[in-house]
Amino acid sequence: MLCALSRWLVSRSEDTGKKLPRAIERHIGRCPACGAYVRASMTVAARLRSERAAYLAKAPEFAVDLEAAALRMRPDRRGVETATKASRRFLFGLRPLPVAAAALFLVAAAAIVFRVTRPAPPANPQEMAAATAAIRSLTSAPKELPGVVGEAESSLDKERRILEKSLFSAADYLQARLNIKIERKSNPNSI
Amino acid sequence: MSDQDRMADKTDEELAREARAGSRRSFEELACRYKRRLFVFLRPRLASDEDAEDMVQDTFLKLYRNIDGYDPAYRFSTWLYTSAGRLAIDAFRKGGAAARNTVALTPEMQIADPAARPEAGSGGSGLWEAARALGGDRYRVLWLRYGEDMSIEEIAAVVGRTKLAVRVLLHRARTSLAGRLGPRPGAAAEAAGD
Repeated sequence: MLCALSRWLVSRSEDTGKKLPRAIERHIGRCPACGAYVRASMTVAARLRSERAAYLAKAPEFAVDLEAAALRMRPDRRGVETATKASRRFLFGLRPLPVAAAALFLVAAAAIVFRVTRPAPPANPQEMAAATAAIRSLTSAPKELPGVVGEAESSLDKERRILEKSLFSAADYLQARLNIKIERKSNPNSI
Repeated sequence: MSDQDRMADKTDEELAREARAGSRRSFEELACRYKRRLFVFLRPRLASDEDAEDMVQDTFLKLYRNIDGYDPAYRFSTWLYTSAGRLAIDAFRKGGAAARNTVALTPEMQIADPAARPEAGSGGSGLWEAARALGGDRYRVLWLRYGEDMSIEEIAAVVGRTKLAVRVLLHRARTSLAGRLGPRPGAAAEAAGD
């Protein structure tokens, strides 16, 4: 575990220039494998730098010809244009279904959010007459209303007669008891 | 001083600035400086030397066409390798000529310590061959680090990885190469002598 950490920190030191922690330096001093790793790592870096020129010399010599490259890339460009056209066909030829579905969804959403109603057409004379008749029928008195009124009136008359009889009875009692004469007015103001 | 010498004295960024101003000669000088370096960078990704040469040509053509997009605030090599890497990826995706071609590690590639083999440090390139055998990103980050002396930030920009990912790749690549360094021929004798 400490060996893996030490080697990673050695690599970090190589790449970033950060100094190794003292504990790691002590470990490298004690651990032969990590000490060998440090030496090998430094050797690898130094040799890669020193062998760079020899490695490059092995690469084949060739001239950079921009005109030839342009000619060679022309078919590629045609291929790119064909691909672009194909993508356009794909966009407008094979995708109307999703587009139509999206449009339908938008219309449905608009219909839910904004409720569209038609304005009422102007009324013709016949309809106006029918409406007026309906209103009148609502406001006119029903046929049974007089009977109801008569019943109410008859009950009042009955009450009045009972009260009158009671009064006559009381007057008779008083006449007999007090030996007086009580006469009824011809046109009483009340009752 | 000849025109050739004056060109050779200029930095990459100066040449790129002149190329952006319309100097074809400056761009050719840049192409001459980088064609082999770009070749060895791209070669492991492609099936043959011819494919790698074509890719180098295409990269320079692309750069020449887009030279107005070069920002002199950045190193020319970073811009070059980034473009080359993207072109290689495009070619790989097209699936035509692009194919992974890693070199199989042969016993001859076992490299001895330079202290034991002084000639290896002077003219050999065996360690780079071994690095190429690692393939993929490990080889590319090794080349950019030790072949082009790029910083970790620049390498991260070129390969499109984070700085930490680049450091991990470098660590693994160095560890692999260190493991492939053969034992020093004199080490056994030294041990026997002790």
